[in-house]
Amino acid sequence: MKNLSMAISICGTLLGAPLACLGQATIEGTVELPKAHFAPVENERYEIVSKAGVLATDPPRAVVYLEGNFPKSGNLPTKFVSQKDLGFRPPLLAIEVGTKVEFPNEDDTYHNIFSYSPAKRFDLGRYPPEEKPVPSVVFDKAGLVTLRCDIHEHMRGLILVLQTPYFTITDAGGHFRLTNLPAGRYILKAWINSRKTVEQPVELKNGAALHTNLP
Amino acid sequence: MNLAAESRTSGIRRFRTKLLVAMMVVVSTLTSLGIFFAQRRAADDAGAGLQRDFELELASLHRLQDLRNTAVADRSRALAQNARIHAALEDNALDLLYPSAREELRDLMERAPPDEVDAAATLHAHFYRFLDSHGAVIVPPTGDAGALLPNEEARVAQPHLPTTMQTGYLARHDETGRPTIDEMIAVPIRSTETNEVIAALVLGFKPVETVPHGASIGMKSGILVDGKLQLAGFDRTAEEKIAREVVHELAHPDGREESLRTAIDGVPNLLFFKRLNLDSDYPPAYEVCVYPLDQLLALQARLRWQILSAGGLLLVGGFLVSHFFSRRLSQPVEELAVVSEENFAQRQRAEAELQTTAEELQRSARFSADASHQLKNPITVLRVGLDSLLAREGFPQEFYEEISTLIHQTYRLTGVVEDLLLLSRMDAGKLRLTLNTVDLTHLVEEWTDDLLAMPDAGRLQVETDIPEDLWITGEIKYTGLVVQNLLDNARKYNRPGGTIRIVAKRSGQQVELRVANTGRGIPVDAQPFIFERFHRADTSHDVPGHGLGLNLARELVRLHGGELRLVRSDPERTEFSATFRAAAPAAQASGVVP
Repeated sequence: MKNLSMAISICGTLLGAPLACLGQATIEGTVELPKAHFAPVENERYEIVSKAGVLATDPPRAVVYLEGNFPKSGNLPTKFVSQKDLGFRPPLLAIEVGTKVEFPNEDDTYHNIFSYSPAKRFDLGRYPPEEKPVPSVVFDKAGLVTLRCDIHEHMRGLILVLQTPYFTITDAGGHFRLTNLPAGRYILKAWINSRKTVEQPVELKNGAALHTNLP
Repeated sequence: MNLAAESRTSGIRRFRTKLLVAMMVVVSTLTSLGIFFAQRRAADDAGAGLQRDFELELASLHRLQDLRNTAVADRSRALAQNARIHAALEDNALDLLYPSAREELRDLMERAPPDEVDAAATLHAHFYRFLDSHGAVIVPPTGDAGALLPNEEARVAQPHLPTTMQTGYLARHDETGRPTIDEMIAVPIRSTETNEVIAALVLGFKPVETVPHGASIGMKSGILVDGKLQLAGFDRTAEEKIAREVVHELAHPDGREESLRTAIDGVPNLLFFKRLNLDSDYPPAYEVCVYPLDQLLALQARLRWQILSAGGLLLVGGFLVSHFFSRRLSQPVEELAVVSEENFAQRQRAEAELQTTAEELQRSARFSADASHQLKNPITVLRVGLDSLLAREGFPQEFYEEISTLIHQTYRLTGVVEDLLLLSRMDAGKLRLTLNTVDLTHLVEEWTDDLLAMPDAGRLQVETDIPEDLWITGEIKYTGLVVQNLLDNARKYNRPGGTIRIVAKRSGQQVELRVANTGRGIPVDAQPFIFERFHRADTSHDVPGHGLGLNLARELVRLHGGELRLVRSDPERTEFSATFRAAAPAAQASGVVP
């Protein structure tokens, strides 16, 4: 394990391009999504709904990610979850552990973003639009974080903090495609809602494209 | 007689006693009825009044509770809209639940200034707890939510999350260790998105207190929960006793009277109780109001005394009045008794006498009638015999004169007998008059003519002063007899050559006939007896007569509704007056001499 990570590290360091070093495997397929409450819309908009304590996107989307022992990425890019039209944009964000997320207020009103989720508790306090510096949080623990606004109770956002750099969000039809994956045996997971995650073991080969459906 | 008087007196005494007793019975009955009804009325009124007090008490309690419940419900809605509480509940950050609610509930938990007794004070919560999705208490991490013992917290929990507001009562001990009862209001917290009940908030308040309506009469109210009653002003034993009785009453299947009487420390009390938390999952609790009845009883006692004294006064008054009345009543009765007794004796005597008299009268009348009849026949026989002797020839002249005298005597005898017969008929009440109108003028004229025809009347002068057509009511036979008797009398007792004066006149409804003669007069001492039977005014003179004439005349006049009197009698003149009833002149004259 240690050797492997070191090897990757060395390989990355030597080649300068880590992904090239680890091969070009691809997974694509479809996640079977729950029935949508509304017909899928073209503009790709969706929102977070809570039903019987279960948080999900509506229309449903899934986060598909590859679980394995991957080296911790350094220098992760900052992500953004803005507040616009009294909602979170995007409503669902998947990030790798350690990612910094900024919460710009793009509305004309105050917001107070906070989370009581076990994965990350934070409270940004009330801040006006165009607050500088933009309030941000670094998510250092894997898990699902529910974003709320203390002022606008209906606002919900989700951040799925993952231990992997390989993840994507499906479209409304459940289609996904993960690229630049390292070869090896992994578990492919699909987060469907706060209570449901499906998984499937996969074996990836360099240069090969795997086609699989979940579940 | 003495014995009779005694028995009479005791009878009157008995009567008086009976009267008194009856009146006293009436008065006592009225008094006791008055007491009975007044007391019952007072008790009913008081009971109804207390019941009304209790209802008012409950009503104001409910009004305050409603106020508080509304406030609490508002608070719960606000809590449900609180994103942090939602977050804490939904994200299972229960440790953050109470801190999140702290701000929201801070004002409820802050003590109101002690002098502020208003709705804000009733909104002061002793504790609050959240219930999780199973109805179990989420234990607060700090003491901000008010301290509760674990067993108390267990009683705050609900078997499942309430969907409506629920009221419960928690008997516990406060910080100072004194027993207290908290009113718990459990409100569901609904998700603002799905409207599902995701949790519940239970707030513990000091029970709503009202200014009791019955406080002035010492009413105490408390709450009974879990079989325990907390009633300010009563000791443990009394509380337990009341609690037992109420629980017993509640356990009774068809009890539910919601009121009962009980004695506490010897003081009778009226209890009212009513369930406070209907439709609640918390154990039933009851508002219990205890109204001491000592004031009511005192009132009743006063009332009883008033009525009793009124009754006593009434009784005394009744006694006096009845005494007075019984005396008044019994006095006439008493007198009546005496009088009736005397009367009875008198009557008995009178009756006996009357009986005797009647019998004698009957006997004498019968005797007279019998005697008259018995006499008439021999007289007739005698006269006929004498007549036949007189018709014979060959007797000396003196013999014929003697026989003539004898015959004359038989006529006299017949007159006497006929008068007696008439009198006896009158005495026996057997004489019935056939009344008619009689021409008195004519009658007097006829009898005057007869009078003057008498052998010894030749020397008498007759003066008459009678108006024409003087009519009277009578039977001509007997009125004629009266006139004849009076004229006969005037002739017989007149002095030789005297005057007979006959005057008649009408005055009003009466006709008076006066017949006067100029005889020697009737001695004064004899005058009262002239109308008596067989009385002869003067026996020393040879005046024919048998002493029945005036008596008969008077009886007949009286029978005609008049009176015969001696008007005057002195040596110059003796005058009789006879009155008759006047009559209208008849169409035909009917004055025929019999």
